[in-house]
This record gives sequence, C-alpha cells and structure tokens, in this order.
Amino acid sequence: MSLESFAPSRALSIGVELELQLVSTHDYDLAPVAEDVLRALSHADLQGDVKPEMTCSMIELSTGVCDQYETVSTQLEALRDTLAAAARRLNVGICGGGTHAFQNWGERRIFDGPRFHYLSDLYGYLAKQFTVFGQHVHVGCPSPDTALYLLHGLSRYIPHLIALSASSPFVQGEDTGFESARLNSVLAFPLSGRAPFIGNWCDFERYFEKMASTGVVSSMKDFYWDIRPKPEYGTIEIRVMDTPLTVRRAAAVAAYIQTLARYLMIERPYRLAEDDYLVYTFNRFQACRFGYDGVYVHPETHEHIPIGEAITSSIARIEQHAIELGTDAVLAGLRADVLAGRNDARWLRAQHENGAPLAEVVMAQCARWTQGGAM
Amino acid sequence: MDLLVWPEWPPRFSALLQVGLALILTALAGEACRRARLPSVSGYAAAGLLLGPLLLGWFDALELASYRSVLDLCLALLLFELGMRLDVRWFSANPWLLATSLAEIVLSFALTFAALQAIDGDTMLALAIAAIAVGTSPVVVMRVVAEQHASGQVTDRLLALCALNAAASVVLLKLVMGGLHGVHGGGIIALLHPLYLLAGSIVGGALIAAAYAGLRKIVGPASEQGPAATIALMLVVIAMLHALRLPLALAPLIGGALVKWFDPRPHQWPGQFGSVGSTLVIVAFILAGAAADLNHLALGAGLALVAIAARAFGKLAGALAFGARSGLDRSKSLALGVALMPLSVLALVQTEDVLQVFPEFGERLQSVVLGMTAVLGALGAIATRWALLRSRESRAGDR
Repeated sequence: MSLESFAPSRALSIGVELELQLVSTHDYDLAPVAEDVLRALSHADLQGDVKPEMTCSMIELSTGVCDQYETVSTQLEALRDTLAAAARRLNVGICGGGTHAFQNWGERRIFDGPRFHYLSDLYGYLAKQFTVFGQHVHVGCPSPDTALYLLHGLSRYIPHLIALSASSPFVQGEDTGFESARLNSVLAFPLSGRAPFIGNWCDFERYFEKMASTGVVSSMKDFYWDIRPKPEYGTIEIRVMDTPLTVRRAAAVAAYIQTLARYLMIERPYRLAEDDYLVYTFNRFQACRFGYDGVYVHPETHEHIPIGEAITSSIARIEQHAIELGTDAVLAGLRADVLAGRNDARWLRAQHENGAPLAEVVMAQCARWTQGGAM
Repeated sequence: MDLLVWPEWPPRFSALLQVGLALILTALAGEACRRARLPSVSGYAAAGLLLGPLLLGWFDALELASYRSVLDLCLALLLFELGMRLDVRWFSANPWLLATSLAEIVLSFALTFAALQAIDGDTMLALAIAAIAVGTSPVVVMRVVAEQHASGQVTDRLLALCALNAAASVVLLKLVMGGLHGVHGGGIIALLHPLYLLAGSIVGGALIAAAYAGLRKIVGPASEQGPAATIALMLVVIAMLHALRLPLALAPLIGGALVKWFDPRPHQWPGQFGSVGSTLVIVAFILAGAAADLNHLALGAGLALVAIAARAFGKLAGALAFGARSGLDRSKSLALGVALMPLSVLALVQTEDVLQVFPEFGERLQSVVLGMTAVLGALGAIATRWALLRSRESRAGDR
C-alpha cells in the first residue's frame, strides 16, 4: 500500500478541529448523547462540520478551509452557537477542556461506527481512556517538501502551543499537577510522539511504504504524531493542543500557528537537523507539567529559558508576519495572557481551589464555553 | 423471686421480628433477580406483595400506621430527589417535551378510563383507577436508573416524565376524591378541597426548597452531614404535611424542582443516600405490600389486566406522538414509552389513602390496583431496564 499523493492546497490556509465534551446537566459527568446532538443538527445549515468521535460523549466540530483569522473565528462562533442551541433543546452541556475532570473511563461507550469499533478492538481500554479532547489545526502547504520543512520547523514550537492551550489539569477526579495531562494519554499509543526526521517527500513516501509493508500501518491515520502530514488535504496537522475552554482561545492559537507557519515558509530561518529533537520530549514534558513556567531548552543554543519567555520572544520575532496576516492584535492578546500567567488550566484550577466540587467546575466550564468568556 | 427478669415461655417476639424477616427475604429476592440479570427492584416488588401481607398482614391498623412513616420518609426523599432532576428550563427550551408529557398523561388517563368504563360501568372506580394509572413508579424508575448508572436522553426524559405524571396522578386522584366528596358530602368541599391541596403543596414545596437551600449553604450534600440533614428535613416536612392534611407526594417533588430552578448547580447525594437509601427502598416495598390482601387480587384481576393494556397503549402512543419533534428518534421514543411502564409503591400508597377515607370504595379500588402493581412492579422494572439498555444509556458495564 502506498501513500496517496500530496494534494495541492492554498499556502497558509488553515482549518481548525475541536473535540468537545458532552455532559449531563444533572451531574455534569460525560453523557452518551453524541447521536442525539448529531441528529438535532442534521438539518442545520452549518459552515463547517460536526462529526462523531471515538466515544459517545464526544463530538468534533471543524471549520472549513479559511485564509483569515477572522473567518476561523466567525465560523467557530457560529458552530458553537448552533451547537449550543441544539444542546439546550436536549438539556445537555457542552464544554471545552482537554480532559473531563472526573469521568470514569470504564463507563464510556464506543461510538457505533466501523472505524471506532476497529480501534476499540485493537487498542482495548486505551481507546476508552482516549476520551480526551484536542484541538487540531491544519495548515495548507504549497508543496510536500514545504510541508515537511514546516512540520520539523514547527516542532520546536510544540511546548509553546501546549502551554497556550493547556486545559486538562484534572483526570479521573484528581488534580494531576499537570497543566496538560491529556497528552499523557496520547503517549500510550504505539505510534505517538514525534514524526521521524525526514526532509523530503520522496523519502517520506519510502518510509511510509516500509512501515506499511510491516503491516503496522495502513494509512496516515494510524500515526498519532504530534504533527503529521495529511497528504489528501495537502496540509500538515498539529495535534498537541488541548481543546481550549473558549472558541476565542482556539482561534487565537490557530492564528499563532498560521503566523509561525508564514514566518517559517518565507524566512526559512532554521537549518533543520535530527539533533533538534534531542530536547523535544524534555521540552514537551516541561510544557505539559508546568505550562508557561516550564523550562524550554533551545534546540540549537541549548539555552534554558521559561516557556513563557520563549512564547513572548517568538511573538516579537514574527510580528511582521502577524501584521501581514492581520493577526497582530490577537497575538498581542496572547502575549498579554502569557505575561499575566493566564491560561485555561490555571483558570480551571482556580475554580476548584475556590472550594467548588469538580462537578461545579465542569458546570462553570460549560458556561464559559457557551458564553464565549474572555480569552 | 422477680419473674420479670426471665423470658416468658413461649417467648413473645415484638413485631420487629417479622419486619426483619420480611426485609431479609426481600433483600434476598432482589439479589436473586440481580443474579438472574434482572433488576433487583423486580425482586423487591414481587417479594413486597407476597411477603408483606404474609408476614405483616396481621398487624393491626395502629402498628401499620406507625410503620407508615418510614414508608413516607422513603417516598418523600425519592420524590425530592426526582424533583431535583426536573429541570423546568428544559421545557421552555423544548416545549415538545412538555407536549410529550401531556400526551402521555392524557392518553393513559383517557384510555384506561374508557376501557374500564366500557367493561365495568362504575364511573367513579374507572376514574380513580385511571388517575392512579397515569403515574409511573418513581421508586422503581429511580432504582433502575441508579442500578444501571444510566445517563442520556431517554434517562433524562424518563425521569422528567415520571416526575410530571406522578404529580398529575396525585392531583387527578385528589380531584376524583373531591368528586367522591360530592357524592358523599357537600358540594362546595368537592371544589375547595383540591384547591387547598394544590396551593398548600406549592407553598410547602417553596418552604422545602428554601430550607434545603439554607441547609446546603452550611453542609455540602456530599459531606457526612449532608444526607442526614436532608433526611431530617424530610421528617419535619412529613410531620407538617400530615398536620396540614396535605398529600405527601406533591410538596417534596415541587420543592426539588424549585431547588433546581433557583440553583442549577449539580445536587448530588452519594449514590441515592448510600446504604441508607437502598434499605429504605426495600422497606418501602415491604410496607407498601403489607396492606395488600391477596384475596382481593383475584377479584380485580380482569379489570387490572384491561387497565394495564390500556395504560400501556396510552403511554407508548404518548411517547411516540411528539418524539421526533422533541428531538428523539423513533427507537428511543419507543424505549421511552416502554420505560414509563412501572407502577408500584406510590400507587399502593395512593390506594391506601383512599381506603382510609372511603373503606368500601377503597377496597374495590385496591383489588384492581393490587393486580396492576403485581404485574407492573416486577415486569415494569424489567421493561425500564430493557429500554435503557436498548438505547445504550446504561453505564453499568459494557456487556
């Protein structure tokens, strides 16, 4: 089996996917209502799409292909509002966040669909434990080689993206101490982590064919990499982010990615090397565990700085590209958040520290998602 | 020598012995059902009707009345909890749900009445049975939902419809009783009395909600004192409702709904009051069965079967009528209708109340209601469980 060819796509176009939690408004535990929500939306005129996910308490919404931050933002808000209207009719709650605070994975049900059942049979309990909720961002690439350059260039910004989107401090009713505990569940999958360091598409195709001939994979979908190429769309897909608690934050993170991609595509600032990945898993862990306060080790200079500082200096570095794309105001907002130490994981923890039980934290999470909240 | 320190021969046991034995056997019946992959509440319901009269049937009225308060407590607690699951906001967001409830109530009342009237011809009896038939057993439904740890659209709607039809059943029966007053007593009482009951229950519900909200500020529902405080509150409520001669079922239900309305936070008690809750449920089945006279069962069997069939038809048609418009697919609407079948403790208590006031009429009523609960207590629980499993809303294990 060979890899499909890399479809052409508009450079720097972006598409955003958000996996969302569906909860009962009685106990705020996850509720198996995806089917009913999808049914309620079947006649809605949507810009973008709403799809089922692995378990019956998850749903995924996605924007169409967008060129501008504003379009992403408008589409996400429209999708959120349509979904909220359907949820009200069914009396269920919808919220963001990378994990559900206190759900018991053993109680999850696999959504009725051939691929979901296949995955459930293959991965066993991992599939149910994979009831975690991520934001995926696609970036359009003019050529497959550009895609691979972008993939490896962006990999050094993975800690930045994790810290900015982190929203999963609680797992199975406990405070994990992590800002993004969700990624720990992803790591359990055999083909997760970083993509192999391959710089051109011919070599990548050869790699894929070798993997396919081992019988381990049959399509790109079988790789759970943090960033993976998606040849049928002509994009790379960044998958490390938790679903933020608001669509504003989700759109802002997408804008940051788009601006970084423009910087990387046009300036080609790095000469990429396998050794860039020496610090990759360390940096990734630091971001998951400590967020902005984690240590970022620069892949080339090996300098140690806080991740928050790495984010603000990257925003300064790509300012010109932000102005070109019209994302400068959004990035200024993100920068202000980093300086103030604000992210969704900390917001969630603050709710719990105020004495609210986790069920009430989830309720606040639903209100924050539906009302939009501040970034 | 003081003979009083030595046991008498033969020894004289207090009524506790029978109650204890009945409890143990009922618990065993529940366990047997669980092992047979049936809802344990089916076992309780069947055992309650068989063992209640057998072991407790010879109690005199006074003794029974004192045990009745335990049954009242159980009902009040369950109805209060059910009320808290009745999210009134849902009805304004989805009026078709209210339409479903109305359809289901009206159809099961009208069909049951029409069928009985056609066969038997006793209008008052037909009306009273139809009023009782409107209700779905909150005890059975809540136990099955708890046992299956169910969650989802069918579950949520089942609980909402159950709360509404239980309330409707209580009100309808009171109206019928008002009619009986009209036959047996003065005309103005027939009109004023139901009004007093309704208004009183609403005021009572508001007071319960206010008291609960006040208590909750001090003790969390998940804390050790939380359930104790709520149980205590219900004891006070029962005493007051008795003193005011208000129906026991309505005020806690309204109170619960008001709590949810003013404070939409999750109000969760640990597993339906933990072990205390399940003991109370078993006790409720036993005590509800205690007043049953199985000789009456045969007498009303025919009418009971007709009433069961008419009621089932009404509930199913009601659930299906606006299912699609309220956002439920056909298969789940059907499951919802099936899940509404149980009839048990509340119906027996309602009948018992009629019996107290109108012994002769009450006896005829009881003969039919007993038959209905005998079938719909055990089988209704199985139906509800089947409906929840079929709509994939059970979270108690995957297989």
